Amino acid sequence: MNMDEHDALDQALFALPLEEAPAGLRASILLATAYRPSPAFSFLELAALGALGAIAIWLSVLLALGGGTLFVHTLETIGTFASRALSSTATLAWLAAGGATALWLSLFTGSQPLVVAPHRSGRRAGR
Amino acid sequence: MNAEIEDGNLVALTLRGNAEAFATLVERYDRAVYHLAYRTLHDVEEARDATQEAFFKAFRSLRTFKPGSKFSTWIFAIAYHACCDRLNRRKRYASEELPERADPAPGPEQQAIALDQAARLRAAIDALPEKYRTVITLFHLQGKQYDEIASVLGLPMGTVKTHLFRAKEQLRRLLGEMEVTES
Repeated sequence: MNMDEHDALDQALFALPLEEAPAGLRASILLATAYRPSPAFSFLELAALGALGAIAIWLSVLLALGGGTLFVHTLETIGTFASRALSSTATLAWLAAGGATALWLSLFTGSQPLVVAPHRSGRRAGR
Repeated sequence: MNAEIEDGNLVALTLRGNAEAFATLVERYDRAVYHLAYRTLHDVEEARDATQEAFFKAFRSLRTFKPGSKFSTWIFAIAYHACCDRLNRRKRYASEELPERADPAPGPEQQAIALDQAARLRAAIDALPEKYRTVITLFHLQGKQYDEIASVLGLPMGTVKTHLFRAKEQLRRLLGEMEVTES
C-alpha cells in the first residue's frame, strides 16, 4: 500500500487492530464497579459489633487489672444504672420514640437503587 | 444485555440499579479505553491501572453524564485524564524524557525489520511525540469526529486539526524511512 497517499494512511489507521487487553482486566473492572460484592455487615451492624467488642475488651481489662472485685463492682454499677434507666417512664418513652423513628426512616432508605456520587473527573470530562 | 441498546439507555439503566447494563458498557469500551491508555502510556501495567481507574471513576460519576452526549467520548476523556495524571507523576519523579520512561523497546527502524504493516504503523505511532500520538490514537478510535477528539483532549478543534495534520506528516515520513531501511 502506498503510504504517501493521505487516504491510504487514514485507511491504514482505521484498520489498525486495537491492543489486546490483558487477561482479567474486564473481570477486575466489573468487580470494582457493577458487580462489587456488598459488604458482609451494614454500617449500623458494624457500629453495634464495635461497641460490643469495646465493652468486652473493657470488661476483660478490668478483670485482668483489678481481679474479681473490680469486675463484679463494675457489672453491678452497670446493672444498677440500666435497671434505673429502664424503670423510668421518660427513658422508655424516649427509647420507643427513637426506635420508631429509626424504623420509619429505614422504610424509606432500605431499598434505594444504586446511588452514584458526583466526581471531579466526571465534571472535567463533561467540559 | 441486548447489543442494540444505546449507551445512553445503558447509563440510565445503570443508574436505576441494573448492574448488567454497566457490564455491557464495560464490554463495549474496555478494549478501546485500554488501547488509548496503552498508546499514551506505553506500559502494560500502567495502562491496565488507568483503564480500571477510568471505569471506576465513570461508574462513580455516572450521574454527571449528560444525556445526549456520547459515552465513548466521556469515558475516553476520563481515561485520557487518568493517563495525563500518570504522565505528570512520571515527569515529577524522573528527569528523563517521556519516551525513555516507556517500556524498553527497540526503535522504529529496528522494529520495522520483519514486521508486518500494522506493526510498522504501530511502531511509527509510538515514535511520535506524545501530543501527536494521542491525537492519532483518538483519530483511530473515533474516526473523523474532530469535535469529539477536541472534547476528549480539552483542546480547540483548530488545534486538534493542526496536531492531526502534523502527526500524519510525521507518520508518513517515519513510514517512508522504515521502507528505506527495509529495502
